[in-house]
Amino acid sequence: MKANFFVPVITVSVFGIYLLGASFMPDLGNGKKDFDLAGARQIPVVDGGRVKPLDTVARTALRIVSGRESFYIGKEEQPAIRWALDVMSFDPDDKDSPVWNYEVFRIENDQVLNLLGLKPKEGFRYKLKDFSDKFEKLQAELDRIKKVPENNRTLYDNKIVQLKTHLDEFLKLRSLHDPLLLPPGSAGEEWRSLQEVEEEIGFKAIQTVMIKEGILPKDVKNLPPEEQKRLRREVQEEDARQLAAIPAAHEWRELLDAYRENKPADFNRLVAGYSKNLSFVPNRDQERASFEVFFNRAAPFYQCCFLYAAAAIIGCLSWMVWSEPLRRTAFWLMVLTALPHTFGLIARMYIQGRPPVTNLYSSAIFIGWGAVLGSLVMERLFPIGIANVVGAIGGFATSIIAHNLGSGNDTLQMMQAVLDTNFWLSTHVTCVTTGYAATFVAGLLGIVFIILGLFTPKLDKSTFKLLGQMIYGVVCFATFLSFTGTVLGGIWADQSWGRFWGWDPKENGAILIVLWNAIVLHARWCGLVQQRGMAIMTVFGNIVTSWSWFGTNMLGIGLHAYGFMEAAVPSLIIFDISQVAIMGIGLIPPKHWASFGGRYEVETKAKEPVREAKREPKPVPVSPVPVNIGSTAVTARRPR
Amino acid sequence: MSQVLDAPHAGAASSPSFGELLRKILKPVASLTLTVVLLSMCMWLVFCGTWAQRDDGIWTVVRVYFRSWFVWIPLQIFAASGAKIPSWVGVPFPGGWTLGFALLFNLLAAHITRFQFRIKRAGIWLIHSGIILLLFGELLTGLFATEGHMVIAEGGSANFIEDSRHYELVFVDPSDANVDQVVTVPASLLKNGAKISDPKLPVDIEVVQYMHNSTLHEESSAQNRATAGLGLESYVEERPVVSGVETKEEEDRPSAYLHLREKSSGADLGTWLVSLFFQSRLQPESQAVTAGGKPYRMYLWNQRTYKPYTIHLQKFTHDKYVGTETPKDYRSHIRLVDPEENTNRETEIYMNTPLRYRGDTFYQSGVLDPRILGKKGTILQVVRNPSWLMPYVSCTLVSLGMLVHFGIHLVGFLTRRAKV
Repeated sequence: MKANFFVPVITVSVFGIYLLGASFMPDLGNGKKDFDLAGARQIPVVDGGRVKPLDTVARTALRIVSGRESFYIGKEEQPAIRWALDVMSFDPDDKDSPVWNYEVFRIENDQVLNLLGLKPKEGFRYKLKDFSDKFEKLQAELDRIKKVPENNRTLYDNKIVQLKTHLDEFLKLRSLHDPLLLPPGSAGEEWRSLQEVEEEIGFKAIQTVMIKEGILPKDVKNLPPEEQKRLRREVQEEDARQLAAIPAAHEWRELLDAYRENKPADFNRLVAGYSKNLSFVPNRDQERASFEVFFNRAAPFYQCCFLYAAAAIIGCLSWMVWSEPLRRTAFWLMVLTALPHTFGLIARMYIQGRPPVTNLYSSAIFIGWGAVLGSLVMERLFPIGIANVVGAIGGFATSIIAHNLGSGNDTLQMMQAVLDTNFWLSTHVTCVTTGYAATFVAGLLGIVFIILGLFTPKLDKSTFKLLGQMIYGVVCFATFLSFTGTVLGGIWADQSWGRFWGWDPKENGAILIVLWNAIVLHARWCGLVQQRGMAIMTVFGNIVTSWSWFGTNMLGIGLHAYGFMEAAVPSLIIFDISQVAIMGIGLIPPKHWASFGGRYEVETKAKEPVREAKREPKPVPVSPVPVNIGSTAVTARRPR
Repeated sequence: MSQVLDAPHAGAASSPSFGELLRKILKPVASLTLTVVLLSMCMWLVFCGTWAQRDDGIWTVVRVYFRSWFVWIPLQIFAASGAKIPSWVGVPFPGGWTLGFALLFNLLAAHITRFQFRIKRAGIWLIHSGIILLLFGELLTGLFATEGHMVIAEGGSANFIEDSRHYELVFVDPSDANVDQVVTVPASLLKNGAKISDPKLPVDIEVVQYMHNSTLHEESSAQNRATAGLGLESYVEERPVVSGVETKEEEDRPSAYLHLREKSSGADLGTWLVSLFFQSRLQPESQAVTAGGKPYRMYLWNQRTYKPYTIHLQKFTHDKYVGTETPKDYRSHIRLVDPEENTNRETEIYMNTPLRYRGDTFYQSGVLDPRILGKKGTILQVVRNPSWLMPYVSCTLVSLGMLVHFGIHLVGFLTRRAKV
């Protein structure tokens, strides 16, 4: 009894302290000595149509280029903002600029490395200097690839194009074209990019000087060199005058120059006084941007990934040794992990002003959350340590998936006009994704059923029945959610383009989940399958759901093709094969199952399942966990 | 829901009543195993119907797979891009109509033979009646719903709807100062080699070639088969039917080469090219055919349905997110004028907020490229679906039914558990 209390309390406390520390610890030093980078990362800018802190822009760009949100100088980890400010103030003529030497460009394809004359190395991250002399070669390859139709491109071709998009991301930041740095200077004005404003000013300065001097620009080169020099100086002065008239642009230029020229005092002064430029940015946007910096730092989903893995391992251990203390530990660790998970979801909703699911990335986060919460409820109802493991694995897997989905872009994009409706996003999308979550939970329970039953003696009579009930209940839940969600989608479609059902791939994927869940239920009701058959069928549900979730997007057609991702095709195929394999071993006759062999006549001949079960003597609980609700099996109460 | 229920009463066997005879016949049809088989077949059909959309347009797929009795599923639909598998390699399969009706019979039979109406079964009744309604709704939609477009430039008006998937050949007699006389030939009659003759038509038509989708080349060349009209300066080439709607917003552009003869005299009027390309939507480029001494204007355009009311586009706005090309909002500010109903009102049509009027529903669908007419304009999708309300009703029924049915089980389960 004492162990049942102290083991969970101590373990959860340790993880809790870790979590608090990890979330509130200040970010990676201050990167560059004496520079107020913590202040700079708070500056709100506009990118991708929304106000966000410079921190998010830096992290997103670095993640696209290098696959990580930080980088290393020597052995020392550095924050993305340092790299971003260096890139933004980068002068390509300055051969000593640190930008040349940051190892951030991730290139892992050996043919691409070969083209650029690079050697594979650990981490596959290279300096700009390493391959800046090979740009012509790269351009020649790009010109060749441009003529190849997309379907016929090789892996190498695609990797070259990918490198190009990474370089573009770098150049975009460097050209100051994106993000829009300059906040509106008056009511009704829009955000503008520093590049646009500087170009405009440069043009105006030349124009002003030429008019004042009465010279045509084309005649300048005929003037004596002295005169040309003077004119150039005049233009520069005019340029500076015009820039000074736009305070935000002027300050940004000074700020970037101070950063490049290593003048921390100037830089810090400008950062500290920057907020005066934000008088026409709504307070709400500024607060959100500031909160987003904390959110980025806390990285709640990243922490979740680690903690769910720990919970899954402890949960599995509880099947082998010290069951009850470890089961409780796993349960409470899941509860602890659900906190940052929930916080992360709510934080995203606050930052974006949207319901939780707006793209594939957030669907993964949300499915994981749904699976975890559902599993916690189940574990309370059926305290046999199985839902724990299922929830933790679900949470862990979806965190990994989300991490991979989120590597390519800002995960809080703005919504296309047709999706710009919180009502349907919060009803249809939430419902459908919860349906996915339920179907996956059923599938995971099915996998646990097969593995426990086949390889261990743990699937004793009562666990067998309870697990059967859990699967049945979750499938019912999944049917309801996926049906309602699909139908709400139909109603949305009817509202937005007058077609309740359009046979679009994503719609078809959703209806496949509904059909499959309905098939599982009907097959169970008519006695075609028993507990074991149902477990195997729910594993197939994983394939159906992964098809609907990702497969339909990979076809690259239809109205929902917003998340096309060819790169994930092999992962999906491997996943599906693994599920088929599990179904295959699930079909091994029960007499070979470690849990059943000779001990239980659980796998009765079909057709009369329930009567058989009733005739059997009441099971003697073998599980160390007291299980006493076997007689209430849902299946025994066959619906009439 | 098992097959062991409702055994016939003893003694009934000697003189089976009509009801029992019916049950006996229906019993195999009512089997739950059959339900499972049919639902599995539905899954396969839907799955194939999804893959087929890589090669064929969505409407072709809907017609061939889902609104059909029977479908030949070629292996080609799963082939990697570029691979060619002969079309005879495939499997025959029942189409959407067949499976839908089979499920319907299965369900009805199950209710006749097995289910009694008890309060505990209320959920099942609700679910199944909802599903029956849903299947019927889809049937009615498939049979009666029409879709079209209304294109209006800013400041302009429109009183007709263009069908996006059906086309017609038109002869307009403008000789009357007040009313144009219009004779139309649906494009479905324009089959290669077909001869079309009708007393109402000023000419006899022989279809040299009809192309459901084509590209226009605006130059004369050896491929130029027309001997009169606009086809002298341009020619068309056949193209595959557009695949995967909406993502590229492409539509089929049919064209046809027609050989015309004067109705009265039989005089050869030459080979003409008609094409949707000649119709910039608002101001069709016509060609004049003179027959029987009268000039007719000839067009090939989207089938038109005229409405008793007019929609006037007062203003069209198109907002994007700042600094991006991502559309944020499209909005048509319109005035609806209907002399028959004495309606004259202003309203807005925008994303997710359609206008429903006299059985038609208008949705904000697209933006008219200002380069075409030098003006901004709107493209409204117009749908007429008499059964549009059915899915709403049926879905409410099913969802409610599931709540009731699973709810009863859950509550029962939790109560029993609490007792233990």
